[in-house]
Amino acid sequence: MQQKKAEEKEKKPKFCINDHTDILTEILKRLDGPSLGVAACVCRLWSAIARNDSLWEHLCFRHVASPAPSSVRPVVLALGGYKRLYMVCVRPVLSRLGHSDLVRRRFWTRDEVQLSLSLFCVDYYERRLGGASASSLMFLCKPVNV
Amino acid sequence: MSPYDSATSSGGGSGSSASSGAKPSEIDGLLAGAGYKVRSSDLRHVAQRLERLETAMVNSPAEISHLASDSVHYNPSDIASWVDSLLSELHQTASMPSDLPDLPDLMVAPAINHTVVSEAAWTDRDAPQQMNQFTVVTAMEEDSGIRLVHMLMTCAESVQRGALAFAGSLIEDMQALLTRVNTGCGIGKVAEYFIDALRRRIFSPQSACFGGSGSASPYENEVLYHHFYEACPYLKFAHFTANQAILEAFDGHDCVHVIDFNLMHGLQWPALIQALALRPGGPPLLRLTGIGPPSPDGRDSLREVGLRLAELARSVNVRFAFRGVAATRLEDVKPWMLQVGPKEAVAVNSIMQLHRLLGSDSTRNSPVEVVLGWIRNLNPKIMTVIEQEANHNQPGFMDRFTEALYYYSTMFDSLEACTLQPEKALAEIYIQREICNVVCCEGSARVERHEPLGKWRARLGQAGFRPLHLGSNAFKQASMLLTLFSAEGYCVEEKEGCLTLGWHSRPLIAASAWQALPDASSPLGIVNQNSNHNAL
Repeated sequence: MQQKKAEEKEKKPKFCINDHTDILTEILKRLDGPSLGVAACVCRLWSAIARNDSLWEHLCFRHVASPAPSSVRPVVLALGGYKRLYMVCVRPVLSRLGHSDLVRRRFWTRDEVQLSLSLFCVDYYERRLGGASASSLMFLCKPVNV
Repeated sequence: MSPYDSATSSGGGSGSSASSGAKPSEIDGLLAGAGYKVRSSDLRHVAQRLERLETAMVNSPAEISHLASDSVHYNPSDIASWVDSLLSELHQTASMPSDLPDLPDLMVAPAINHTVVSEAAWTDRDAPQQMNQFTVVTAMEEDSGIRLVHMLMTCAESVQRGALAFAGSLIEDMQALLTRVNTGCGIGKVAEYFIDALRRRIFSPQSACFGGSGSASPYENEVLYHHFYEACPYLKFAHFTANQAILEAFDGHDCVHVIDFNLMHGLQWPALIQALALRPGGPPLLRLTGIGPPSPDGRDSLREVGLRLAELARSVNVRFAFRGVAATRLEDVKPWMLQVGPKEAVAVNSIMQLHRLLGSDSTRNSPVEVVLGWIRNLNPKIMTVIEQEANHNQPGFMDRFTEALYYYSTMFDSLEACTLQPEKALAEIYIQREICNVVCCEGSARVERHEPLGKWRARLGQAGFRPLHLGSNAFKQASMLLTLFSAEGYCVEEKEGCLTLGWHSRPLIAASAWQALPDASSPLGIVNQNSNHNAL
């Protein structure tokens, strides 16, 4: 990859996306969950950017009809952050409530957002309770019965 | 001829009575129209044989291909002999199935002629030794399950009559029969629990009762309750529905007070705290009073739960105060312990607690009236009542037993979908304790006195409450929650403003919301027992 970059540098004016992290962030913001996960494996810089919670916030609430009120962010951050919210609640909820191929395009309703947040809160509480029995959301991890 | 000709059938099966008034030896008219000749009296016999044939064919597809290739040498229009000859084709031992006794049909009839059942039980014991075919054993297993249910009913009826010796012998028979049934799932599992409960009732009634005061440690109860919460959606449904109703009732109030009749680990409240944190206009000051049993070993478990909830509330910026009230029984709680302030909006939350008050102590006001009285005096904005949708408080033992058998069978069925262990196993123990209490205990020890929604409506209406409709938000949320559980079979229904969650159209748990009817003479927060009887 270094070689290819060097070749490109010879041919064109120097442009490397990694020099423009703000553009990179804007691009990564628009990816869906799986793609964002793949992007995080590209290199250390991309991984660092992908760990930025605001990217995941964008992912969680991208398809909500009305924007989330500002009070949501401190709550989500207190309960574990948007990345965790996505991994533990939003992604399974969306895929269960819609079909998995529509996960990226689907709008979700305020009720679904609320439910995800509530489940997230229960998860946080159970982890604080004693760790051993934080399985309240395990049902979300089970494969769907066909 | 078939044994159904004798007058032993308890419920009147579909066979001979369907061909209305025809003499037994006549050909059944309906099937004749389709081209099949069957005697009306043989209908049940044929139906059972067809079922066995199906089981046999499903279980051994390789062996039956020759049946398809042969040209017709059976006469299918004479179904009775056709199915018999096919069955004997499939089994090595010639015409063995016809040696099996025809089993009585399963009917829900408490008055069973028990001599028929015990005769069938005797012959059944001898038959299995001859059988070495897997396919026929499967059919036997199904029939054993049906027979178990029959014997359970007979045993319960004997217990009601007081014939304990006979009931005891039936227990032994049933335990022998259990060995031939798959007790890992289905009817075998449920039957095992009920046989166990009956055995405890007959042989050791004193030590049988769970759930009575002090017999099981509160810690154990909490653990079992938690696993029941994880394994199936009933408690989650209860919590989310109640929270939605409470949230809507608290709209516009800045000072709110929730009284939880059974705190346990406080799993219901994080979601409410979070929803209050996010409500437009900001969170109110939330006070939570949690009632629970005292901890035996000096730990203050109520306070620990309160601390966890306070920590959560602090991290989401909700002003929060907690108070624990330790009481062994709900009727021991006095309203002054709750310290309700005059300007607070109060919500009372009772999840499967009110039925424990129904044990009648006829010397004074019944406990449920006393408790409902002081609740009403608190003038809560809302009282959420979630109860099991079952009629387990009937005076007759047989009625209770039958109802419990069907209710808990359905519940165990729904639990099959759960694959989490050890949650599932512990949830089963939780349910088993309820079963034991319903079946084994009497008097004040029997606390699981479930009553259906209709009766609660009447009772609460009489106590001065009016129903609040659970809105469409609650229904939507409940439906979404169930979709997440992805086990086909759960269903949410709305009935006159109350929501029920059930398994395959049998409701198992009902949620309702209530408000005290306005009563100008009793000021908020002050106890006045006499105002129970003031007319509006």
